Amino acid sequence: MSNDILAITEHLNGNVADISYEMVGGAKELAAGFGGQAIAIMLGSGMAEQAGTFASDATLYVDDPALAEFNPAAYGRVLAALVEEKSPRLIMFGNTSMGMDLAAWLSVKAGVPCVAYVNHLAVEGGELVATAQIYGGKMAAECVPAGDSAIVSVMAGAFPLDAGQGSTAAEQMASPVSLDDLPIRFTRLIMPEAGDVDITAQEKLVAIGRGIGSDDNIELAEELAEAMDAVLAASRPITDAGWLPKTRQVGKSGVSVKPKLYLMLGISGAPEHIEGMKDAEFIIAINTDADAPIFDVAHYGTTEDLFDVAEAMLEKLE
Amino acid sequence: MNIVVAIKHVPSTADELEINDEGVNLDFDEVDFTINEFDEQAIEQAVLVKEASGGEVTVIGVDVIEELDGVLHTALAKGADKAAKIVGDLEPPIDSHTQARWLADAIGGLTPDLVLTGVQAVDDLDGQIGPMLAAYLDLPYVGVVTGLSVSDGTATVHKEYAGGVMAEFEVNLPAVVGVQAAEKPPRYAPISKIRQMAKSADLEEYEADENVGDSGCEIRKMAKPVSAGHAEMLEGDAEEVAEKIIEILEERGLL
Amino acid sequence: MLTSIERVLFILMALALGGLAGAGFYGIYRIVRSGRSAPPRQNVLSNLIRAAIDVLLQKPMFRSRPVLSTFHAFIFFGFSFYFLVNVTDVLEGFIPGFELVYGGQNSSISLPAGLVNLFNLTADILSVLTLLGMIVFLVRRFLAHDRRLKFNDGVLLNPKVAKGWIGYDSLIVGVFILLHVGSRFLGQALRLAEYGQSDPFMPFASLTANLFTGLSEGGFTAAIHTTWWLALGLILLFLPYFVRSKHIHLMIAPINIGLGKQTPRGELDPATPPAAHTNGDEPADDEDPGARVLQDLSWPRMLDAYACIMCNRCNDVCPAHSQGLVLSPAAVEVNKRYLINEDFTALAFKGDRIDKPLTDVISPEAVWACTTCYACVRVCPVGNEPMADIVDIRRRMIIEGDELDSGIQTALESLAKNGNWFGKGSRGRSRWTKGLEFKVKDVTKEEAEYLWFVGDTASFDARVTPITQTVARVLKRAGVDFGILGRLERNSGNDVRRVGEEGLFEQLAEDNAAALGKGQFQKIVTTDPHSLNALRNEYGPFVESQWPVLHYTNLLLDLFQSGKLNVTHPLSHYRVTYHDPCYLGRYNGEFSAPRQLLELMGVELTEMPRNCENSYCCGAGGGQIWLGSTPAGERPAENRIREALATLAPPSNGDGNVIEPDDGQLLFVVTCPKDVIMYTDAVKTTGNEGKIEVRDMIQLVEEAIGGAMPEPEPETQSGGEA
Repeated sequence: MSNDILAITEHLNGNVADISYEMVGGAKELAAGFGGQAIAIMLGSGMAEQAGTFASDATLYVDDPALAEFNPAAYGRVLAALVEEKSPRLIMFGNTSMGMDLAAWLSVKAGVPCVAYVNHLAVEGGELVATAQIYGGKMAAECVPAGDSAIVSVMAGAFPLDAGQGSTAAEQMASPVSLDDLPIRFTRLIMPEAGDVDITAQEKLVAIGRGIGSDDNIELAEELAEAMDAVLAASRPITDAGWLPKTRQVGKSGVSVKPKLYLMLGISGAPEHIEGMKDAEFIIAINTDADAPIFDVAHYGTTEDLFDVAEAMLEKLE
Repeated sequence: MNIVVAIKHVPSTADELEINDEGVNLDFDEVDFTINEFDEQAIEQAVLVKEASGGEVTVIGVDVIEELDGVLHTALAKGADKAAKIVGDLEPPIDSHTQARWLADAIGGLTPDLVLTGVQAVDDLDGQIGPMLAAYLDLPYVGVVTGLSVSDGTATVHKEYAGGVMAEFEVNLPAVVGVQAAEKPPRYAPISKIRQMAKSADLEEYEADENVGDSGCEIRKMAKPVSAGHAEMLEGDAEEVAEKIIEILEERGLL
Repeated sequence: MLTSIERVLFILMALALGGLAGAGFYGIYRIVRSGRSAPPRQNVLSNLIRAAIDVLLQKPMFRSRPVLSTFHAFIFFGFSFYFLVNVTDVLEGFIPGFELVYGGQNSSISLPAGLVNLFNLTADILSVLTLLGMIVFLVRRFLAHDRRLKFNDGVLLNPKVAKGWIGYDSLIVGVFILLHVGSRFLGQALRLAEYGQSDPFMPFASLTANLFTGLSEGGFTAAIHTTWWLALGLILLFLPYFVRSKHIHLMIAPINIGLGKQTPRGELDPATPPAAHTNGDEPADDEDPGARVLQDLSWPRMLDAYACIMCNRCNDVCPAHSQGLVLSPAAVEVNKRYLINEDFTALAFKGDRIDKPLTDVISPEAVWACTTCYACVRVCPVGNEPMADIVDIRRRMIIEGDELDSGIQTALESLAKNGNWFGKGSRGRSRWTKGLEFKVKDVTKEEAEYLWFVGDTASFDARVTPITQTVARVLKRAGVDFGILGRLERNSGNDVRRVGEEGLFEQLAEDNAAALGKGQFQKIVTTDPHSLNALRNEYGPFVESQWPVLHYTNLLLDLFQSGKLNVTHPLSHYRVTYHDPCYLGRYNGEFSAPRQLLELMGVELTEMPRNCENSYCCGAGGGQIWLGSTPAGERPAENRIREALATLAPPSNGDGNVIEPDDGQLLFVVTCPKDVIMYTDAVKTTGNEGKIEVRDMIQLVEEAIGGAMPEPEPETQSGGEA
């Protein structure tokens, strides 16, 4: 059993996801507490260059054509083998679409406890203390996983991004296991329809959520956005309903944004949404529920009716 | 096509949640339970697959607080063909590992072609049951799926990534799929149909194996999340609030 | 008068055409009977007599359109009297020398002159009035093109209706009446002309007779025979057509009114036909709830189709139609009749069950536009209930899983799960009481005189809960002993039932009944007319004992009258109008308490044109408040706010007559939690903020009694005295 920490990085279309750097940064901090190494793990093909961009103590890069794109079966096989070989103290996944396929699976396969939705990790007296959000973010649970090894899947933003960025040379290796006869085959990536605005590039966003109520009210939000020289963004229920294109979705399954202004209409602040906007420089939330979690994130808030406020603002701006 | 949907009965977050005296979890006497919202998507997707490709849908879950019947009757009213529950001397919380183990034991005996489950649930602190079921049953798993079709022993799934990007996979069946959203919003189950199911449907029961170990992920403390700060609340009526917002934005050069 | 050949011809025609018409009537009877059963009608004979009297007095007509109703009354009285006239005409034709002119003095049979003169005068005047009425109606339809006879764009119409068959039918019926009555009138005039003498009891005929002076004897004979045939032969020809034409309303309307709904307005007919319930509660397998095809409808709904004359009075008062939506209650009835007539013979005589889909009667979009405000039923002069068709169609759509509006689905799911449509847990139901200075009793734990059934909107909507708290404070101050059901209360199910979710309604009613059963109280009070309606009219099958259900306005009035509340600050500085909520007023007849309250408080009340029975819906009922998308057009609540403003502050008529601030603040007073939301919103969307304000009655009461805070508890005696 080692005291090393494996940070399982991820990438899409040749770009390393931010959460990978965040995990590497976090792993370094924790590795110091355990007296082990922070090891970044990257699986891919032709990604040697990107594998060298971490500030890890060591980076292991497994190169195989079958790993070029994320594939839960292939990635799972390789990681199971690596974990068995290295018996690390901690394995970190991002609590992302990719990480969620693997963390709990590996927990069962390797017989190691798992904590999901982790937004804080610490080493206390040699023990790992993981704080996770639970019950839709309404509660925080603090746990100490039993045994001498653990898996966590961490929320985006749990650790700062820059601490994990560096230039540690990656050790490249071939897959330790056969990747033939995979039960899952990647066929293609489907990109969102182009042509819509890129909300990640905007300085000002007006974001709408479930509270907007109906399709027709989008127009009001649009007018307000226009009057403010901002662009309309949305939380998942709005894009799921097809009221705005998927490209406007902020949050876990949408995009992360960091605008100068994020004005929110009728968004209560599900953890998945907060994940995508908490780094906005200035946040104003309009939501009738005074207990909505969004008010913990926003700088200014009001529980006045969003339509009234929006209309009043529109009037004054015009 | 034998489709099994594994579901979870979870605390409803519609209510304000209270913490128990020990301070390690919810006061489960003071909370309603509800079907995990993603499991509703999984049931809908299962019924859609059945409608498109034929087959039979079985819904199964752990009866954590002995109130799962209503959930199962609803699933039957929505088009599931059979429903089953895992029973025993149970008390919440029951972690995902344990539930997945019990479910895997029961599902294994059903020889499914496809196992669907909600991609996540509000109470899966120790991980989601989908990938765990796959591990216990030794089946492939793909999660965060928003599209699914089946032909010739293969499922074609669309898995969602951030930013609206999706990956398409082909998965050999049998397999476990974690559903993020069904291709159509879950249908409405009329109450009279649910009540009819309550009168006529037989729910199969499986005994929970008490010898299954826990996840090794014990909660030592539960609390409402400490927020780093709270928004400064703007007082006054809508007019005044609008005025203030504009003022603040102008001050910051955002208008 | 008639020749032998003419007589034979007339008798043969009467037998053949009368037989054909008789078969038609029998066919209608069979078709109506092929509908599903309805709650049994009691005292049928006396009801039919009462209906006949009402119809004779034209009472149902004058609920709206007084001018047109007057012309209708002309035609009605004329046509009714013509039954008698036709008999005497036949006698004239068949009994040689029988005639009525000049009081019957020239008749071969001696007749009482006074009676005949009265008859002649009546016939003479009514003939002219009928012709006048008919001409007005024809001009209105074909020259003036009255918009009220048109349907909104997009309203589903039977292809024949869309092609204008209603117009042809009207033209045929109109021309028939003109010819029938006109010919008879001319026939009498010709007789007078033949004698060359006027008859003072036939003034109009005498006047007209001048036209015919100088006609040869042969000419008179020919003309009299021709007009006789045009008057009476036409009737025979018309008889079989009558069965298929809209004109049959004159037979069916009184029957339809007489056989009308006998349960309270606020109690919907059961979703499955009552007969299916004979062996326990299980409906028979072949009796699905609600309606998908024509013959799923109950027999009164089939009868409705024949009673409708397509006057479109229902469209005038329908909030959906007035908004320009695709719902027209009249179209429902018209379409039904045309659909039946397409396969009349098969439906009537072959015992065929022709599955005529009701999607040919009303589009799903229209089905979901109905607010169940009951205005169409209330206004209908022939006793039709198009709203009942709509609810039955919704019922089947729900049970068979038709696609639902997302908002309605979300609301129903929340209601099924949480017992409220706000998506909140049941524990939050009494959260509004936390803002009070005192504890509200839980009647399931301690006894109280009144159970206050709070309802969803008043419990959960942040815009209404301050008003709910004010109600609590005022009641407390007045010393009313009241309590609530707390987390055990569920939505009453009133609108759930009207959305068509019968099963959910039953579940909610059973849950509430169980909670009520645990409570210790004598009476129920509520601020919510929707809850009031369900509790008062639809909980019978669910509760063991029925409690009196009061609206809070009744209780408040009682408190003032018994001196438990006193007006210390009269509200003479307000100029108000009052809106009758559908489920309080039109459904439950509660019009006076709110008005008495306003009067007590010294408020100047001005009624809107549409008030009391004719109040206009706010647009929220029947599940409309849950809709995920708001349709285009001026919403009913916006229309209503404009009506209120026009009432309280009529637009200046050019002489600079504007409202002075001294005239007092304009208030729109409501007594329903949903109205608070709907109208507050409508004041904003119509840009009338600052001009008129929406107030709940309790807010006025609070002001009039000088604040609602309970009197401080008397200081407890200090221990010093002991």
